[in-house]
Amino acid sequence: MNSSYFSDMIHFENISLSFSEKIIFDNLTITINQGEKICLSGPSGRGKSTLLNLLQGYVLPNKGKIIINGKVLNDSTIREIRKQIISIPQNINLPVKNGMELVELLEISQNLHAIKEYNQKLDLESDILIKDFAKISGGQKQRLLISICLSQPKDIILMDEPTSSLDDKSIELLINVIGELKGRTIISASHNQLWAKSSDKIIEL
Amino acid sequence: MNAIIDINIWELAMGFLLLIFPMAFFYYFRIRMEKDVLINVVRMAVQLFLVALYLEFIFTLNNAWVNSLWVLLMIIVGVFTITRRVSLNRKYFIVPFFIAGLTSILIIDTFCLGFILKLDYVFDARYFIPITGMVLGNALNHNIVGLNRYFTSLTEKRELYQFLLTNTANSKIAIRPFIEDAARAALNPMIANMSVIGLVTLPGMMTGQILGGSPPAVAIKYQVMIMVAIFVGCTINIFFSIILSNRFIFDAYGNFKQNLIQQKKKQLQKK
Repeated sequence: MNSSYFSDMIHFENISLSFSEKIIFDNLTITINQGEKICLSGPSGRGKSTLLNLLQGYVLPNKGKIIINGKVLNDSTIREIRKQIISIPQNINLPVKNGMELVELLEISQNLHAIKEYNQKLDLESDILIKDFAKISGGQKQRLLISICLSQPKDIILMDEPTSSLDDKSIELLINVIGELKGRTIISASHNQLWAKSSDKIIEL
Repeated sequence: MNAIIDINIWELAMGFLLLIFPMAFFYYFRIRMEKDVLINVVRMAVQLFLVALYLEFIFTLNNAWVNSLWVLLMIIVGVFTITRRVSLNRKYFIVPFFIAGLTSILIIDTFCLGFILKLDYVFDARYFIPITGMVLGNALNHNIVGLNRYFTSLTEKRELYQFLLTNTANSKIAIRPFIEDAARAALNPMIANMSVIGLVTLPGMMTGQILGGSPPAVAIKYQVMIMVAIFVGCTINIFFSIILSNRFIFDAYGNFKQNLIQQKKKQLQKK
């Protein structure tokens, strides 16, 4: 099939992947349309995070191809593809003391206004960016990381267990924020039912 | 100043009696280090005696080619030591580490011997060998620490690297914290050492010169020069080693090639 057919979407085509003896995916085919909010669901070890890694070129399939906005993911397109992707990991150890230093590290100081808007929507204090990570809760840190990452004007947003450190109130706020992101494709891996239900589609792995 | 008092072989042997103290501690606390210490002390003495014989020979010969060959040999031994101690796959890293070592020595020696000491003969063994040796020796230790940190971090903090690489789509930004971490690990001890030198520590070169009959004022000037040379040499060496390694340690997708780290290290990390 011509890759230009998938010009506005993400398409996993006959993906097979195994680690050592373990088969993770066997001829997996998924199509995700632009602007869709997808939740990858299923027990641990079924390849939810691996699927997100496949999209970023950190894991390569044994067979099959991945097409993102018309481009087949390979070593010559990966740089361009990453320019379209935001990745929000869970519980990452950052080499910086606070949010401001993270903004500087990512070189996105021009996004400060957007970050502050997201912070407000996610019920974070106005000075959260300069607060030491060691002195804020896991939930605050996760919301701040989400704010900082979302401020980048990219179309594809990958979220690995975005609610892992959040309480129900914060999850509701995050669902609202994500709901406002019209036209941006969200692919998340989550065990949380509340989060899954808010998605356009749940893909069971 | 009086000429230095020579130590005869029996007096030197008596010096080894000082080892009774560490041995007593090891014995009392049941620390099995006695064999290691004895083997390495004997090895150190034998190596230094052989070097003394060789240095006597090359000091007498004082030939640019022979002296340069000796320095090249020092660089090569250093490179092999780094790859072994950092558990890196030798065939990939020998050339970049050799270039890094050679570049640091070319810059430091040209500057120190040519522009500061203004030697008529820059390959003069009396200056060329010890200054190069000190820079290389220190660079070796600090390079091991820095490169070990660099490759270990890239392996253990893979998620951080990938987070930065995706969100910035820029490999230079993605490896920046890892390079900073490695540089700090390599250079911080030296910076700390500089801050207490003369107060807590009396450096070997200065002490050696004073014992050899040089006035302290002259010895100190040499020491200042050599401290700067060592720091700069180490910095050039660690950064060049990393920059040159970066050309092949990532695949076309920007993923760190873990097969470049030997199995032994991978097993240690799993533990």
